[in-house]
Amino acid sequence: MKKYLGLAVLMFFNLFLPAIGAAESDYTFNLSETEKKPYHFGGYVEFKPVLFGLNRDAAFYKLRYYNDPQGQTLSEVNGRVQLEGSYEKDIYRLYVKTNTDLKYSDPAGSSERSVFYEAYGSLKPSSSLKIDTGKKTLKWGKGYAWSPVAFVDRPKDPDEPELAMEGFIAGTMDYIRSFEGPLKTFSFTPVALPVYDHINDEFGNSNHLNFAGRFYFLLYDTDIDLMFMTGGSRPDRYGIDFSRNITTNFEVHGEYAYIRNARKTVLDTVGNVRQVEADAQSYLVGIRHLTTFDLTTVIEYYHNGAGFSDDERRNFLAFVDRAYNLYQTSGKTTSLNSAKSMADGAYGRAGSGENYLYVRLSQKEPFDLLYFTPSLTWMVNLDDWSYSLTPELLYTGFTNWELRLKTAFLVGGRSTEFGEKQNDYRIEFRVGYYF
Amino acid sequence: MLKIIVAVLSLLVALPVYALDGDALLKKIDRNLNPESFEMYRKLINVEPDGKKKEYTLFSMKKGTDKIAALFLAPASEKGRSTLRLGENMWLYIPNVGKPIRITSLQSVIGGVFNNSDILQLDYSAEYDVEKVEEKGGEYLLYLKAKTKTVAYDRLKIWADKGKLLPTKIECLTEANMLIKTLYFKDHKDFGEGLVRPAVIETDSPLYKGYKSIMIYAKIKKRTFKDEVFTLTFMPNLESLR
Repeated sequence: MKKYLGLAVLMFFNLFLPAIGAAESDYTFNLSETEKKPYHFGGYVEFKPVLFGLNRDAAFYKLRYYNDPQGQTLSEVNGRVQLEGSYEKDIYRLYVKTNTDLKYSDPAGSSERSVFYEAYGSLKPSSSLKIDTGKKTLKWGKGYAWSPVAFVDRPKDPDEPELAMEGFIAGTMDYIRSFEGPLKTFSFTPVALPVYDHINDEFGNSNHLNFAGRFYFLLYDTDIDLMFMTGGSRPDRYGIDFSRNITTNFEVHGEYAYIRNARKTVLDTVGNVRQVEADAQSYLVGIRHLTTFDLTTVIEYYHNGAGFSDDERRNFLAFVDRAYNLYQTSGKTTSLNSAKSMADGAYGRAGSGENYLYVRLSQKEPFDLLYFTPSLTWMVNLDDWSYSLTPELLYTGFTNWELRLKTAFLVGGRSTEFGEKQNDYRIEFRVGYYF
Repeated sequence: MLKIIVAVLSLLVALPVYALDGDALLKKIDRNLNPESFEMYRKLINVEPDGKKKEYTLFSMKKGTDKIAALFLAPASEKGRSTLRLGENMWLYIPNVGKPIRITSLQSVIGGVFNNSDILQLDYSAEYDVEKVEEKGGEYLLYLKAKTKTVAYDRLKIWADKGKLLPTKIECLTEANMLIKTLYFKDHKDFGEGLVRPAVIETDSPLYKGYKSIMIYAKIKKRTFKDEVFTLTFMPNLESLR
């Protein structure tokens, strides 16, 4: 059985790529492979066809397609090109990473968006000190699917937590010290983040120079970070995270963020909009475990103190229903546009609820199939018990190629987070090539 | 009488002082394999039963008994990844993910027979105690037991050449003496500065029937590093040390 399954998987991938296997030869190590050049150029290209199974009764379907009804399914072809380059001389380094997303679907047509993900200059006078200026991602936090303490990053997509993200324009510094004893490492990363017209203006309120910082300690074999952010573009916030191996194959991690005067826009039962402002506490606890047979389990519980309660979400979804009915009877789109703007701003974001459970199981190289990793991800909104279930097959056996077949099923009743998403299911096949 | 005394003293000096001291013998083997602090380049090759190969090139640096880091230079899909080991703590940094995550010694960041502890190998004497030493013809056979439960393999059996005091074969075993993998040390090469050691380590495992992995060493050079290099915060910057 194992043999036939292995054969089937190999045949499946060989449909898409010619055999790249090479005859065994002597093992050589050409020293020219180790020579360092002052410059580097590389990149990644991706082709990703996606089939969406639409949920035509869902609120988010109505919001998007109220004037353009679709069939049962919708196909889309996506492409991505990422280019990166660097130049290094003495203590100076320049680094640039661009990202271009291409999308084609019928009948919407094609779209393209290109941005610099990162573009910064570095000055590294010693191994203890580094100063960066420019556009950069910082990726704070220890959480896998969510990171409430990632104060100066864009929100992570829990469906794709390992993807590269666009940074913000900032000035940062890393100062590192090592010690003997229980405290082995200390580092401090201060950040200055300006928000003005055309500079990080999507971060928050404009005309503010924000300051953030992270203190890192490796103390008693535990990673601990303390972080803060202040400045006016977003409410002030403070956080702490940790990560530690309890045993060799069992890691625990956690994050806690305290946000002062967090603001959110909510609706009451009749659809009146109001701003709510209150201190919020968000936290995450998680584990990562590896068995002797290479099954990795990641489990995380996330409480989003600034998220929408079940009632707040229901009020919003009821508002969408009323707006849609109004459009159908009168053709008026004012309410729908207002709902759309609230969906884009917050209600439509992944992880916009209050309590979530995330479970990911990935089995490395089952049945002796090298470089093959099947996985299953289950993400549950614990307030309404709707969930997404995502099986995935990953193969990385061809040098520089990555092949991923991924399906996501969204399950939930009416007025639940996943039950009101635009899709019932999604199937995607991703072919990526690094160069 | 004087001749007899001189002869006896000569014999005593000629006898290896570590003959009965397994731990001293293991320390000598460690130093013959690598300087205490050094940099090196390695190529790792995973060979599948059908002969298909996948290769990785790494730049590594080690300091003292508990600090080692490795940076992937090739292939392009792995370039920029780095791993760090600080005593019993291990982390993996993936540029896209953007932050180091904790990993374990038994995991493998590259797939295949080599796992993280093989790639981030500290001195054997830092992780193992010698339980006993046997003499087998021209070789010593050292029986090693892990000092702590966090070490990847509970037991090692090291066959070492008596003259060169370098390993020829290492068996990695569980507590119950089940074989996990075997490392074969081959192709002695002069790396300069008096370091002559095997340039190739080949491994196979009953857990990966038909597969084998090879590690080829190059440019092993003594080098001292600041402690700050072996920190989480420095992981994205390891390339600057080349």
